[in-house]
Amino acid sequence: MIVGAGQVGSTVVEALHKEHDVTVIDIEPLRLQPLAYRYDARTIEANGASRRALQDAGVADMDLFIACTSRDEVNLVACSFARVEAPRATTVIRTSNVEYIELWREGRLDVDFAVSSELETAYAVARTIGVPAARQTDVFADGQVQIVEFDVLASAGGGLLGVPLREASIPDDSRVLGIIRGDSVTLPRGGDTMAAGDRIVVIGSPDAARAWSALLAPGEGNVEDVVVYGGGRVGAAIARSLCKQGIGVRLIEPQRERARQVAEELPACRVYNATGVDPDFLDRERIGQAQAAVFAMREDAKNHYAATLARIHGVRFTIAIVHDTISTKVYEHSGIDVTINPRAVTAEEIVRFAHDPRTQQVAMLEGDRYEVLDITTRPTSEYVGLEFRDMPIRGAMIGALVREGRAIFPRSDDVLQAGDRVIVFTETSKVSTVEKVL
Amino acid sequence: MSDSGSRPTRPGSPRPGTRGRVARLPSPVRLSVNVRAAAALCGTLLKYLSLSALLPIGIAVGYGEPFWPFLVAGFVAAGTGYGLERLGSSGGSVGFREGYLVVALTWVLAAAYGALPFLLSGEPQLDRPVDAIFESMSGFSTTGASVLADVEALDQSLLMWRQFTQWLGGMGIIVLALAVLPRLRVGGRQLLESEMPGPEIDQLADRIRSLARRLWLLYVALTAAQAAILTVYGVVGLDERMGWFESVSAAFATLPTGGFMPEARSFEEFAPISQWTTIAFMALAGANFALTYRALVRRQPGPALRDEELRVYAAVIVGASLLLTAVLWGEGLAEGEAAVRHGVFQVVAIVTGTGFASIDFALWPALAAMTLVMLMLIGGSAGSTGGSIKVVRHLLLGKSLRRELRQTVHPEEVMPIRLNGRVVDERTLRAATAFILLYVGLFVVGAAIIGIDAAIQGPELSVLDAVAATAATLGNVGPSFGVSGPMGSYAAYSDVSTTTMIVLMWLGRLELIPVIVLFTRHYWRD
Repeated sequence: MIVGAGQVGSTVVEALHKEHDVTVIDIEPLRLQPLAYRYDARTIEANGASRRALQDAGVADMDLFIACTSRDEVNLVACSFARVEAPRATTVIRTSNVEYIELWREGRLDVDFAVSSELETAYAVARTIGVPAARQTDVFADGQVQIVEFDVLASAGGGLLGVPLREASIPDDSRVLGIIRGDSVTLPRGGDTMAAGDRIVVIGSPDAARAWSALLAPGEGNVEDVVVYGGGRVGAAIARSLCKQGIGVRLIEPQRERARQVAEELPACRVYNATGVDPDFLDRERIGQAQAAVFAMREDAKNHYAATLARIHGVRFTIAIVHDTISTKVYEHSGIDVTINPRAVTAEEIVRFAHDPRTQQVAMLEGDRYEVLDITTRPTSEYVGLEFRDMPIRGAMIGALVREGRAIFPRSDDVLQAGDRVIVFTETSKVSTVEKVL
Repeated sequence: MSDSGSRPTRPGSPRPGTRGRVARLPSPVRLSVNVRAAAALCGTLLKYLSLSALLPIGIAVGYGEPFWPFLVAGFVAAGTGYGLERLGSSGGSVGFREGYLVVALTWVLAAAYGALPFLLSGEPQLDRPVDAIFESMSGFSTTGASVLADVEALDQSLLMWRQFTQWLGGMGIIVLALAVLPRLRVGGRQLLESEMPGPEIDQLADRIRSLARRLWLLYVALTAAQAAILTVYGVVGLDERMGWFESVSAAFATLPTGGFMPEARSFEEFAPISQWTTIAFMALAGANFALTYRALVRRQPGPALRDEELRVYAAVIVGASLLLTAVLWGEGLAEGEAAVRHGVFQVVAIVTGTGFASIDFALWPALAAMTLVMLMLIGGSAGSTGGSIKVVRHLLLGKSLRRELRQTVHPEEVMPIRLNGRVVDERTLRAATAFILLYVGLFVVGAAIIGIDAAIQGPELSVLDAVAATAATLGNVGPSFGVSGPMGSYAAYSDVSTTTMIVLMWLGRLELIPVIVLFTRHYWRD
């Protein structure tokens, strides 16, 4: 059952309608109609935060309950009713309040999964610009763990190429998950070596990721200067997550009060109270020298205009947030490098959870040949209690684990415990095996 | 009114057709401060303060000296207090507005009470009211400036009374700085407890009482500790001159950062170990009492170690001590351990506003003297018994200036100022800046009055002497340079100058604002 038939709701329905019998509740009949026609979903015009409406809709028989309206309170209330009516159903809420996400992580919010558009958007931005010289970046465990794919160039720093990994000077808190050479991937052991022309997949802390970047592409430097337009909830979440990665952030917010609020919340971030479309301001603050700019204002048209102006001033990499689906095309047409649709990102996250509740996050590398999974180990897994050096290799490699909310980069004598979240790198064809044994 | 209908066109009367009675508004309020209630509270405080006469009475009896001056002073204070209390018993409650009046008036009444025994004793050095009040205000404001040219001529009971007024003043300041002034939106302490609710004295009476009780306990314990340690030095023979009377006197003047000593040469003739011990206690008295309480009593040293103000305070002490040590050693005024000891002792004594002297610093070269005057303008930490501008205000001013400079380059940038990781609101920031301006303004006016008066009536003063005397009284430090150096006295100044200094001590002690608002029209009206 899905409460809320907006953009997020519709995307979730679209993804789930083939495997599940979907029931959608919304107060707005106009939003329900197309879903009923296109995906054969059962639609109910009612208030999702009403217990009677939920009862009438048959919530007691549901396996999965997703509350994804744009209003936190409705979602929370709907989920708590669902918990009472259908104690065995899995519940998912969408929230814009990071506080609820934190509560959920601490286990003090009685839902099975909570997802925040703001945070997901922030992670999406961080993935795009987190590490220079990277082909691809993925962020796990609230930014504590990064997985980065690098090209190994002949110019890479000393002590890396041609040296067995166990002797190579690898940054602390990191390990090489895979060496991709041509079409084959090696899950490296201590004796393997890297060569120019390889691509490598590295897992590590944000600091380690930057250290790798400096090693592999000396002279390219770090991401030090990103400008975020808009200090609303999305903009602030983006700025916060970038700051956490040690990236220098400048944020532009037109409203005086809000600007002050953001400045107070984020000591590491420089905040300007300006519209961001005043050429004098852009010139004075050398906005054009920023390595990247993120446009997270509330109106797409403003984002579009500001991004174009920023490009004129010399910003070379622009990322814009999409609120209306159509804007993606407008942005792309006018040369914005990356577009991120918070609702789409959120919906993807919900769908991913619906497919496999145990897997927290998936990332694809090299198209979809390799996957990185974030799985919670079962107590019955044959791997639990083993030291890492004793684990049989089955085409997968555990790069990091999250225990009690903290990331650990295991050494060979660490022991896997039940309930650990492990981050595993594997070929796509072996995903199901990995999920089975853990 | 009955005639309202008969003369319809009289200006101000209701128009014809309007029936009913003419509005009779209450007459406008002339005075919006409840003086009677404020007086009643002052009376109560004075009544309790009168009990303090018991200590010198005991001393006087013990040494066979006349005790009746203290007895009379006690009775007069108790009587006046009781009278004031009765006068205002029907006066309603003391609120935010009255708070300023109570604070300012209490110190005046205390100073008057403290002067009575000096006057009644017939001591020739203090037989004029101006001098007696100077000495007493210097005591209750924990300044330590004295008009006594020959301290040792006084009776033991009078000497102890002098020390005791400082100790009592210090007690008052702890409550004032940590509990009362923050509610009146004065003082740096509000920064650290900004989550406290607004100034409703009624509700807060309990909190003030419990806060005061805890901190007084610490104050008493530290005083007892210092007195005990110094007495042991005397008994063991580490410091031949340190008897119980000297130990208690020193402790009574150290914790309130007062500075009186019943000795002609202040701390000069005591052993180095006594001086080092006193340095430690002075430094403690100049630090935030609430932080000391947490560190010592609750065993949570973390907040103290991380406190920005405390770090700056420590840095100032270390930096200035190094400078002074170098100057003393370089000029051949002292060597080795003595150079370090005198350097540190004088820095701590001046920056905290204690004003003890381990050496006659009035004879020091210009660089050292200037350093000391600068230290007088820095002061102790907020929430301490120390005086002057206070470290936290300098810290905030520095941060604001840095922000101003940055904003000239980045006019749109929003830069909240943080202290200990917490955002300081702009109002508080403005208050700190305004305070410093006001302080400097008063300092200039004070120095001008004293300088001009000295030029007319004597004594002969250098510019530095006039400046230092102002800094030392406004900052509640005590001794300055020239005739009023640590081994001299303020006796040479004319009555105009000493009266000015009495006012400066009063202003400085109460953080200026509570006194100055009393002289604005807006305080009394609307």
